[in-house]
Amino acid sequence: MTAYTVDPAATRYRRTAATRFALWAARLGWRHAFMWVVAAFAVFPVLFVVSAALNPLGTLSSARLWPTGASADNALDLFGNTPFTTWYANSLFFALANAAVTVLLSALAAYAFSRMRFRGRRVGLVGLLVIQMFPQFLAIVALYLMFSSIGEYRPELGFDTRWGLLLVYLGGALSINTWLMKGFFDTVPKELDESAQMDGATHAQVFFRIMLPLVTPVLAIVGLLVFINTVNEFLLASVFLRDTDAKTLGLGLYQLVASQRNANFGMFSVGAIMLSLPTLMVFWFLQRYITEGLTSGAVKG
Amino acid sequence: MRLRTASALAGITAIALAATACGGEGTGDSGGEAAAGTLVIWTDPERADAVEQSAAAFAETNGIDVSVNAVAFEDMQGDVLNAYQAGNAPDVFIGAHDWTGNLVRNGAVQPIELPQDRADLLDSTSLEAMTYDGQLFGVPYSQENIFLMRNTELAPEAPRTFEELVEAGSALKEDGEVSEVLSMAVGQEGDPYRMNALFTSAGGYLFGQDDTGTWDPADLGVDTEASIAAMERIAEYGEAGEGVLRRSITTENDAALFFDGEAAFFVAGPWNIADADASGIDYAISPIPGFEDGGPASPYIGYQSFFVTEGSTNTALAEEFVTNYVTDTDFILDLYAADPRTPVQAEALESVSADDPNIGAIAEAGTEGMPMPSIPEMGETWQPLGVAQAEIVGGTDPAKAMESAAATISEQIGE
Amino acid sequence: MAASEHDSAGAPSGAPARPPLPGGRFAPGTSLTAHVVKIGLLGLFTALGVWAVLPLYLAGHWLGLAVAAGVVALVYHVYLSKRTVPAKYLLPGVLFLVAFQILPVLYTMSTSVTNMSDGHRVDKQQAIASIESLSVTRTPDAEEYTLTVATAGDPETGALVFLLTDPEGRTYTGDEEGLDPLPTATVNASGRITGAFGYTVLTPAQVNARSAELEEFAVPTGDGAGIRSSGLSTAFEGTAVRSYDASCDCVTDSETGTVYTADDERGAFYGPEGDRLPQGWKVNVGFDNFARFLFDPTFASSFFGILVWNIAFAVAVTGLVFVVGLAVAMALHVPRMRGKALYRILVVLPYAMSSLAMYLLWRDMFNTDFGLINRMLGLQIDWFGDAWSARAAVILANVWLGYPYMFLVATGALQAVPRELSQAAQIDGAGRWQAFRHVTLPLLMVAMSPILVATFAFNFNNFNAVWLLTRGGPLSSENSTAGATDLLITYTYRLAFNEATAQYGYAAALSVMIFVIVSLISVVSLRRSKALMEVDR
Repeated sequence: MTAYTVDPAATRYRRTAATRFALWAARLGWRHAFMWVVAAFAVFPVLFVVSAALNPLGTLSSARLWPTGASADNALDLFGNTPFTTWYANSLFFALANAAVTVLLSALAAYAFSRMRFRGRRVGLVGLLVIQMFPQFLAIVALYLMFSSIGEYRPELGFDTRWGLLLVYLGGALSINTWLMKGFFDTVPKELDESAQMDGATHAQVFFRIMLPLVTPVLAIVGLLVFINTVNEFLLASVFLRDTDAKTLGLGLYQLVASQRNANFGMFSVGAIMLSLPTLMVFWFLQRYITEGLTSGAVKG
Repeated sequence: MRLRTASALAGITAIALAATACGGEGTGDSGGEAAAGTLVIWTDPERADAVEQSAAAFAETNGIDVSVNAVAFEDMQGDVLNAYQAGNAPDVFIGAHDWTGNLVRNGAVQPIELPQDRADLLDSTSLEAMTYDGQLFGVPYSQENIFLMRNTELAPEAPRTFEELVEAGSALKEDGEVSEVLSMAVGQEGDPYRMNALFTSAGGYLFGQDDTGTWDPADLGVDTEASIAAMERIAEYGEAGEGVLRRSITTENDAALFFDGEAAFFVAGPWNIADADASGIDYAISPIPGFEDGGPASPYIGYQSFFVTEGSTNTALAEEFVTNYVTDTDFILDLYAADPRTPVQAEALESVSADDPNIGAIAEAGTEGMPMPSIPEMGETWQPLGVAQAEIVGGTDPAKAMESAAATISEQIGE
Repeated sequence: MAASEHDSAGAPSGAPARPPLPGGRFAPGTSLTAHVVKIGLLGLFTALGVWAVLPLYLAGHWLGLAVAAGVVALVYHVYLSKRTVPAKYLLPGVLFLVAFQILPVLYTMSTSVTNMSDGHRVDKQQAIASIESLSVTRTPDAEEYTLTVATAGDPETGALVFLLTDPEGRTYTGDEEGLDPLPTATVNASGRITGAFGYTVLTPAQVNARSAELEEFAVPTGDGAGIRSSGLSTAFEGTAVRSYDASCDCVTDSETGTVYTADDERGAFYGPEGDRLPQGWKVNVGFDNFARFLFDPTFASSFFGILVWNIAFAVAVTGLVFVVGLAVAMALHVPRMRGKALYRILVVLPYAMSSLAMYLLWRDMFNTDFGLINRMLGLQIDWFGDAWSARAAVILANVWLGYPYMFLVATGALQAVPRELSQAAQIDGAGRWQAFRHVTLPLLMVAMSPILVATFAFNFNNFNAVWLLTRGGPLSSENSTAGATDLLITYTYRLAFNEATAQYGYAAALSVMIFVIVSLISVVSLRRSKALMEVDR
């Protein structure tokens, strides 16, 4: 690079189309090329889903990328024969409620882990990680027992209720996400909140007014992650929600293909595409916060 | 400071009281709704609507409430057992006959006494299949078995032997009409369910049966000479042999191969009928052919039935429902409309066979069939036997694979 | 106090100029609002507590009541005390965590010393009850009666009476004493009694309400046989073949004469020849479950093979998604680039799709003869048939699903690294790569390392990732319990829920072992890693 000591002023006059292209290639061109490759990698399996959604036979034919026939049968089946809108609404309820509460609870805990020193802090952090290592499907019997007795006293929180399942989801509010948030909290200079506290701000004020606005990217990311995970979750939902109208879309779709014998991939694919739409919308909405939140804020020096 | 805490406490109490008062009104009586007198039925999503409609009539006649919940069929047994253990199992649920042994072992289902006139209408084999330890544990309503589906445009004649099938299929393949001789799912883990027809025709057996037809878990046939010879016979058609049976054909793509015209023969089940009709392919149904010099090819027959949970709070109604409603022709026809499976009740079978020639053909394909063993030990055989069969199809020595499978199975049964 | 609005004196040198801090004045006066909010929230919480406690109180469930009261008291203590600042932030999440994650896990762990499995799920009392009720068999050639359930007196409390019609049309009454002819009864066309003097015929709902009694009710006909109901309209004569005797703690089969003695160590009734009754109960087996695989040679060899692959899998997926995700984030980390938003959406697409669907799809794409991958590349690889290609396939599919997450996180983290820093380094003569390696990357790692740890942890236990693709395979007939791509979690799943028999106790023991090993590994490796330095910071 440094071998060519060309006067920049001189080159400016001699820019031909070729050098302009070379400059563009060095600055942006390779990025476009690389992104094309990644985008292709990202998109081609998705094309399959679209092709399966349009395949009137409801089979998953792997041999071709393009649909053999275009038909709206699967979509009509899904909308006509299942309580699709109810399922959709339920999914959105769980995803939004869980994302919102998890972000709040996780941020609170991450603040404590990042800014305060207390007994059990290290154990707590490592414990959060380690508890995730325990296979969840084994705990299902315990959850059955627990919610049977809860349902006995408070049917509003028992099986087949939204609130019961939401409670279980919130059990996972402090998790890997807390680590993620703590990592970002750590990048906010300590001096910032220390000075605010010296000025008489309470810890709550520091948290809500200084920290939270500065870590919006991570709040948005965690919100998105929780949203996506909740939308796709079906294992716990299948334990809790049996009433057809109480189901989530993820669970309903899972049950469409759970049976290996008469799995309907066509309807499933339509549902999977519909299910990804709110996710993409949430992403579209949040990406502003994810990518621009910190650029104008304080950064670690 | 003290004063502040005191005022805080006072404020909290006031809000708490107000909130409790408001909340109390709204939720006061909702708890009583789910009380006894509601018959809870679990069914798979496909049949939920049909069961719900019929059950509504039942509820009305008897002046009670019925609630029908949909649980994926594959999850049903596990969910019922977990719920039973936790004390909130359904009163009635739909299940497969081969679950009986395990359900009984857990005490989760109760014996059912069918009035003679009701029992007489049902296929006697189906009642035997639902019987465990001398007791009837569920009311069967439909049966299903696999069969051979063929593309009549490519293969007008039903093959009488497996050799004929391979010959016809290979000829089509050489002509470039199709790319596969036969579409029969094997998969990486094997498929003992589909393989059973060929396995039995070649002389293999899984468990021995005594004179009364009771399965004997002590007589494991997997590593007997007959079974090994049977697998050797099947291996001739495997990947190292003629390439008719392939691990790359799985339950996900077997139907697609047939519907796309890539294979003229397809080992299919009743669940493929709806798609076959939609595909526009001219098809016909015939029994899965056995080997020329072999015995009859026996596909497994599975029965679907209604079980009554042991110790449910609505036993009387649950028993009434399964004995008198599930055996009722109209009820069975309603279920048939929602999910067409061959009824085991004579009147209903007659009625649907008249409308649908497939039903008769499927039933004929099942005449040589055998009910899937319902002993709990059966569950331990699927995986090891499947893996061994898949390996044999892939070219492994049959004796070695079957012997190791037998060792694994007997070890697991012994536990 | 209000001056703090534009305060930047405490900021580190070199930090770029900041806009005004959000928020407002930090005067203590504003804490009145905070105080009110706090009172409001605590009030609502108390209301919730009362709401939850009320039915417990009414049912006299004192333990539950004590727990609920304890939780409320704890919340009060934490939020009213001045000393428990960290707890104020941790408590809400921790309460949920303890109730819905830690308690179920502890319960599950406690089952690891029991034989809980299919056939051993309930306690002894329930097992005996089901043995007895399941053994009621119909007397051969017994009469079948048409039944009407009635009471002598009040429908809800009166003694149950069976009004019976036999196939010849004779009518009877049956109660706990026995069977008596009933000469005068109103009978409908099908022969069913619809009314009889002195008895109240019950409606179906009324009969159902007394189901529990009906279960026990039998009209004795001598020799231990009795007429029992089946549904609402039929009754038959049957005998309970097996009965429990508390004095010998055994079950006697009256038909065969076999005596089955309770074995409280194995949790089942065993006959003299070692045959057992199918219905057993849950008993404590101590460390048998642990011993079972500690001393099993096949287990030991499979276990360590799986552990090594499990770690390799988690490391490989974490590393690759990090590299790909970061590369994409870097490629898009440029001020003006056409189509940036579109690229972002496209590369995030894998994450938005249902992972369940995508795993099934990837499995199909790897099919030997029909899969897209072999077809497009003209290969004939049996991807899932060979150990190494199956492993590669599993990793590839998981990279596809996982990198958008890393991309999102890296995009966020890149914003925290001032572009000026690496530009400055490049002006100082460092190459692009060097600038990235020594300036940008270390800063990125501050925010990223917890995520890498988290991704590792997630993939370590990523059940779907393997189960939906290969189901742990390829398996071999010699060892059909451990496959080449099995993770510990799929291995546990196969061992514990192998098709029919759910062996919870065994699975729990296995999980506890894995849990202990994994915790040790994580603690040790965290101690050495950057992540823990962050923890200790």
